[in-house]
Amino acid sequence: MTTQIPALDETEQGQIKDIVCDILELELDEVTDTSLFKEEHDADSLRTIEILASLERTFGITLKQSELSRMVNLAGVYAVVAEAKAQ
Amino acid sequence: MTGARHRVVVTGLGVVTSIGTGVDAFAAGLRAGRSGAKPITAFDTTGFAYSNACEITDFDPEAWITEQSPDDLGRAAQFAVAASRMAVADAGLTEEQVRGVRSLVSVGTTDGESRDLDHLTGLQVTSGDDVLDAVVARRVWPGRLSAGIVRELGLEDVETVTVPTACAAGNYAVGYGYDAISSGDVEMALCGGADALCRKTFTGFYRLGTIAPDVCRPFDADRQGILTGEGAGILLMESLESALARGARIYAEVLGYGLSCDASHPVAPDRDSIARCITAAHRNAGIEAADVDFISAHGTGTKANDVTEVGAIRQVFGDELPRTVSIKSMIGHTMGAASALASAACALALRDGFIPPTVNHRTTDPECAVDCVPNEAVAADLKVVQNNGLAFGGNNAVLVLGRWDTAPVPTVA
Amino acid sequence: MAAETGAPPAELVISGWAVSSPYGLGRAAFAGGLASGRRAIAPLDGADWPVPYEEAGLIPGFDIKAVLGRKGTRSMDRVTGIAATTVGMLLEEYGTGLAADPESTGLVLGTSGSVQSIMDFTRDALTGDKPYLVDPARFPNTVMNCPTGQSAIRHTLKGPNVTVSGGAATALLSLQYASRLLRGGHGRALLAGAAEEFSVQRARLERVADHGGAAPQPLGEGAALFLLQDAADARESGRPVLATVLGSRFRAFQDTARAGTALERCVADVLAAAGATPDDVELIAPGTPPGLLGKQEESALDGLTGNRLPVRSLVGDAGAASAAFQLAAVLAEAEADPRLVDRLTLVTAVDRDGTAGALLLRLA
Repeated sequence: MTTQIPALDETEQGQIKDIVCDILELELDEVTDTSLFKEEHDADSLRTIEILASLERTFGITLKQSELSRMVNLAGVYAVVAEAKAQ
Repeated sequence: MTGARHRVVVTGLGVVTSIGTGVDAFAAGLRAGRSGAKPITAFDTTGFAYSNACEITDFDPEAWITEQSPDDLGRAAQFAVAASRMAVADAGLTEEQVRGVRSLVSVGTTDGESRDLDHLTGLQVTSGDDVLDAVVARRVWPGRLSAGIVRELGLEDVETVTVPTACAAGNYAVGYGYDAISSGDVEMALCGGADALCRKTFTGFYRLGTIAPDVCRPFDADRQGILTGEGAGILLMESLESALARGARIYAEVLGYGLSCDASHPVAPDRDSIARCITAAHRNAGIEAADVDFISAHGTGTKANDVTEVGAIRQVFGDELPRTVSIKSMIGHTMGAASALASAACALALRDGFIPPTVNHRTTDPECAVDCVPNEAVAADLKVVQNNGLAFGGNNAVLVLGRWDTAPVPTVA
Repeated sequence: MAAETGAPPAELVISGWAVSSPYGLGRAAFAGGLASGRRAIAPLDGADWPVPYEEAGLIPGFDIKAVLGRKGTRSMDRVTGIAATTVGMLLEEYGTGLAADPESTGLVLGTSGSVQSIMDFTRDALTGDKPYLVDPARFPNTVMNCPTGQSAIRHTLKGPNVTVSGGAATALLSLQYASRLLRGGHGRALLAGAAEEFSVQRARLERVADHGGAAPQPLGEGAALFLLQDAADARESGRPVLATVLGSRFRAFQDTARAGTALERCVADVLAAAGATPDDVELIAPGTPPGLLGKQEESALDGLTGNRLPVRSLVGDAGAASAAFQLAAVLAEAEADPRLVDRLTLVTAVDRDGTAGALLLRLA
């Protein structure tokens, strides 16, 4: 089913990156698509829930708490948001 | 730094809970493993996927509050006042007798009158920022939780303090009463905690993903979180001499308590710090870990709390864990009242010789493997019990109670 | 008092303090402001502060990120910023050696948290598309112990971390709590005091409070904290003994007309317990609430000849921090006036919810 989901455009990815960097108190160039929030950027569970909450508000989507396990880096977040937007 | 101190005993209990108001109803509820869970009526829950809580639906403030207008108190303060009246009567004291001695009133809370602040915010949203309900606005400050008790009982020679140390506040307040009596500063103390259900706190825990969709299942493999609750627990404490002199019925002796602060994370509990708190409590109470007959855990039923808390207990107790229960499975997380109500439950357990159950239990999680006395209370000969309270801000407080006639005399203070 | 035969009575002393006030951050600004008698209350910008008050005593230009840096301050509210800043100043100046023993070092903070944070959170819940679309990072701010817990996190204070509340008497109750913890062996060095913020919602609520028949006074904000420990510990770690805590007494009054009697008894009791007489009291920092309550306080202090330090008239009604500012004023005065060495000083409070309290110190 993942094949039919349209990817996010650059603006949306940029918005997500801004949100993540703001919450994790990082500069934009400190984070890559694959750098891990928890292991490399000191994120704890409250921070990841903040990211989830902020995405829900920004994009008007609903994310299941269980999606947190996939939101380990930017690439994971892009995928989760793309799926939620497609629903 | 300190010399010999007075022994401190609990001689009266006042409780307002979703499984029963008054000590007899509460005790019966604990023994029966009753659950207070039900759909919330305190506020409009439209838009939440689930919204159970342990709400109190039969509380009549006018039955308890006669010396001031109930409207001058928010719901949390009303609970606190009612529980205090009950505690005094339960101790076999008249209010005049309490007025006649120097006393302390300390009430813990998480939210104070946040339910009233919800109401005032709602008015601003619907009617404009300048719209204010003045009667409600005057009663929102947390000092009222303790001041309301003092006013109702007509106390004058009293130290009045509210202790908003979040979800461990009840233990802080009781511990403070213990120090005030044992040092000889006061003769009696009315201590505990109170909180009322509110949208603010339900929403916060819901957003954190820590509200259970149906019921609270501490230590269960399928636990999904807390249910918010409400109520008040007040302990009337006095020196052992005072209790013996007046022939009072003694529930339990307060052996001591310990405090610690994680100083690491605003909401995530810290195993080492909790273990340090337990050890401090044992030292203060003059007991060894092996003396503890059961633990009334903080036991919120969230994934993180139960694993971390049991890990901390294991750190102190090794592999020989005492039975470890959570009454939150029955009355929900009553916030600032939680550890006060749990203290009351411990006192009842000591007097009546039973361990309250952890209800809603199906399969124990191997990651927090304890004998949680699943679903049915058990009879037990108890001498020493430990009551854990943990809170946001990394605020831990552990209280130790003992059966008074067999309690070891503390060797360290 | 607590100790009986066999153990020496603990001598609790204040061995350091810090203040953030409408005069600015730090002791020097506070002491200088008080000494000059300049009123630190300024007109409010109605656009920033849509409140039913014309003026207030704000910490001038207080900006959390500028003071505490960006890290860990993204979701921090004002009262937490004020508390954490003040704790930081105290530790920086007087904290030598305390870091080596973080588990015995704690904080007893008087505060009722932030009504602004609580109401903002509920407002988000009520106005969002869904009732749960709130910022989870701001949830801890809605719990009243947030300033206390956050200060401990920023400054690694692992000992007792206690939040107390009792209106205008809050800081006296906080010092009392800390004293009992120290006597009970729960810590060796405790920072005790109180913090308050100015906010739109606090102003709206305070406007309709009981002002004893007087007009509402301007509100103030800030924090003052005092390092409390045993005298021997203070000397050993090279800290100055600024004052010895001789004791506190509290009483309740049912109606305002009895507040004076209650406070009079507190003062008499605390003096008697210290073996002192009213003439020994050289300096008094009263709470000076408005209206009838203030008159009651005045009448209770009638028999005392010591100098009065005005505080509230200069910095505003600092809510939970009121008595903390009064005690800070006493210490500032003592630093400036060598004649106060070994003299007694009283800090008093009468709260509208029915508490009277008095704290007695010997200045060093």
